[in-house]
Amino acid sequence: MAVATEKVDLTKVKPYGDTMNDGMVQLGFTLPVPDGDEAVEAAKQLVKKMGLNEPSVVYHEDLGIGYTYFVVYGKCQHTVDYSKIEVPKVEVDTMSKSEVEEYIKENIKRDVTIVGACTGTDAHTVGIDAIMNMKGYAGHFGLERYEGIEAVNMGSQVPNEELVAKAIELNADAILVSQVVTQKDVHIPNLTELVELLEAEGLRDKIVLVCGGPRLSHELAKELGYDAGFGTGSFAEDVASFVVTEIVDRNLI
Amino acid sequence: MSLLKLVREKYKTISIVGMAKNTGKTMTLNHLIEEAIEESVTIGITSIGRDGESLDLVTETEKPKIFVEEGTLVATTADMLFMGDAKVEIISVTDYKTPLGSIIIGRVKDSGYVQIGGPQTVKETKEVANKMLELGAEFVIIDGALDRISSAAPSVSEGTILSTGATLSRTVDKVIEETLHVVNLFKLPEIEDEKAKPLVENIIKSGKVCLINKDYELKPLKVRTALSCGNIIGDHIKEDTKYVVVSGSLVKNTIEDIIKTTRRYKDIKIIISDGTKVFIKPKDWIRFQHYGVKVEVLNSINLIAITTNPYAPEGYYFDPNDFLEKMRAYVKGVPVMDVVLGGDEYGIYE
Repeated sequence: MAVATEKVDLTKVKPYGDTMNDGMVQLGFTLPVPDGDEAVEAAKQLVKKMGLNEPSVVYHEDLGIGYTYFVVYGKCQHTVDYSKIEVPKVEVDTMSKSEVEEYIKENIKRDVTIVGACTGTDAHTVGIDAIMNMKGYAGHFGLERYEGIEAVNMGSQVPNEELVAKAIELNADAILVSQVVTQKDVHIPNLTELVELLEAEGLRDKIVLVCGGPRLSHELAKELGYDAGFGTGSFAEDVASFVVTEIVDRNLI
Repeated sequence: MSLLKLVREKYKTISIVGMAKNTGKTMTLNHLIEEAIEESVTIGITSIGRDGESLDLVTETEKPKIFVEEGTLVATTADMLFMGDAKVEIISVTDYKTPLGSIIIGRVKDSGYVQIGGPQTVKETKEVANKMLELGAEFVIIDGALDRISSAAPSVSEGTILSTGATLSRTVDKVIEETLHVVNLFKLPEIEDEKAKPLVENIIKSGKVCLINKDYELKPLKVRTALSCGNIIGDHIKEDTKYVVVSGSLVKNTIEDIIKTTRRYKDIKIIISDGTKVFIKPKDWIRFQHYGVKVEVLNSINLIAITTNPYAPEGYYFDPNDFLEKMRAYVKGVPVMDVVLGGDEYGIYE
C-alpha cells in the first residue's frame, strides 16, 4: 500500500486539499431556488450547518427552472482515528480464474451451478452482469466464462420465489443476489425474504448464499443470514473463490 | 406477572422474532435477561442475526446493549466475542462459520456487555441451542433478526415472543393489521384428522408435495417444490382429494394458480408444516379466505407473548398506553405487554 510521504497522524485523519490537515472539502449540490446572491448565501449557510468552516462558493449555475447548481469549498473540522478502524472482509484467498477452474477439477470434481439475479423491484443489472456475464468487467472475465461453472443469470426484477424455484430446478450450489436500489432500505426485507424462503424450502444449509451491492458488506451479511456480502470493487474471481472454497469447507460436494 | 413466568418451566427453547427492524426485540431480550438475573436462572443466548452492537448498520440508530451476568451461556462468533467487555470462558469452538468468524459457545465468567451473533442457518442455531441446554442452561433464547420469523418454527423453538412496533407504519391500524396477520399465521389450526396426521408428518419430513385422498391413499407429485407448480398441483386435485400437503413454502402464486386451474380448491385443505412457511401478504390472505381456501398446519406455534414498541426511529410515536390497549383489544388469548411501561400494572393481559 502506498503511504503519504509527509508524516501523517493516523489517529487524527482529516481531508487534504493542498497542505496537510487543511481539511479542505469540495461539495457539489443543487438547491431548488433561482440563481442569485440569495442563492449563493443560502448555499454558504447550508455548508456551514454541515460543519464546514469558511465556505466559499466557487461555482454556481442556473439550471433553468428555478434550480441552481453549486460547487462549494469548505474546511472540515472533524477527524477520524484511522488506526482503530476494522472492516470485516470476506476471508478468502482470491484465486485467479485458472486457479478456480483447477480447484473445481481437483476438489469438487463436477460442474458447480451458480444462479444469480437482481431481485425484487430492482432493475439495475450492472452488478450481477459484471460478476456473471461472459465479458465480465474491467478485464476480469465473468463466471459464464469459467470452465467448470454453470452460471445462470436470471436478469432483473426476479421475484424471490422464482429465483428459489430455479435454484431447486437446477440443483444450484450457490445463489448470488444483487441489490443496487436501496431507497428506503427496500433491499433489506427483499434479502431477508429470500433467506426465509430458502429456510422454508429446507434449502438454506444446502446452498452457498451470497449478496452483493454498493450498500452491502460482509458485516451486514451476518445480520441478514447470508454467507458472504460483497461490496463495490469485487470481481468474479473474488466471488468464485469464496463459493468454491465454501462448497468444499461445508462439505456440500 | 412477568415474561420469565410465561417461559420458565414451560419451554426449553424460545425465539424472539420481530415484525420488522426496530420493533424492540433486543429490549424484550434484555427484559427477559434482567428477570432471569433477579431469579438466578441460568439462561443461554444466541441470535440468528446480530445483537448488542451499539449502532445499527442499516438505519444508523442507537441500539440497546446486552448485559449478561456470570454463568450465562452464549453462542456467538469469535470476532464478536472480542467486541464486548464481559469475560467469557470458551467451552467449545464449533464448525459453524459466519461472515464474522466461527461460532463459539462460552460461559460468562465476569459480567459485562456482550455482542451476540449465532449461526447463519436455523438448523445450526437449533444445534447450538441444544448444546447450551446440555451445558446447564434452564432455557435458551434465540433472538431474531430484522423481520425474519423462520426461527419461530416449532422445529426450531418451542415457544415464540413476537415484537411489534410503530416502525411498521405511521397508522396504528396498519400496524395492528400486519401484526394480526402474523399472529393468525402462527395460530393456524392444527390438522385434527388423526388418521392423516402421521401421513402428513412423513410427507413433510420427505420434503415432497403430495395429495391424500378420502381413502387415505397417497399421491406424490413429481415436482420438487410447490413454487411455480400451482397449476400442476391444481391439475391433480380430483373429486376424492382430501388434502394437499406442501412441505416447503406456501406463496401467493401457488394458491392463485391452484384456484385458476381447478374449482375443487374449495373442497380440499392445504396442509403445511407451520405458519412460518406462509409468504402471503395480509390483503391476499384475506382474499383467499373469502374464496374459500383452507390452510391447516401440522404444528401451530406457541405464541408466548407480544411486546409492543410505540416508538419509531423514523421520528414519530404512538401513545404507549393507547397502542397497548388497542393491540390487546384485537389480539385475544395472548398476553400483550410493553416492556418499557413495565410488567405489573400495565404489562400483562390475560
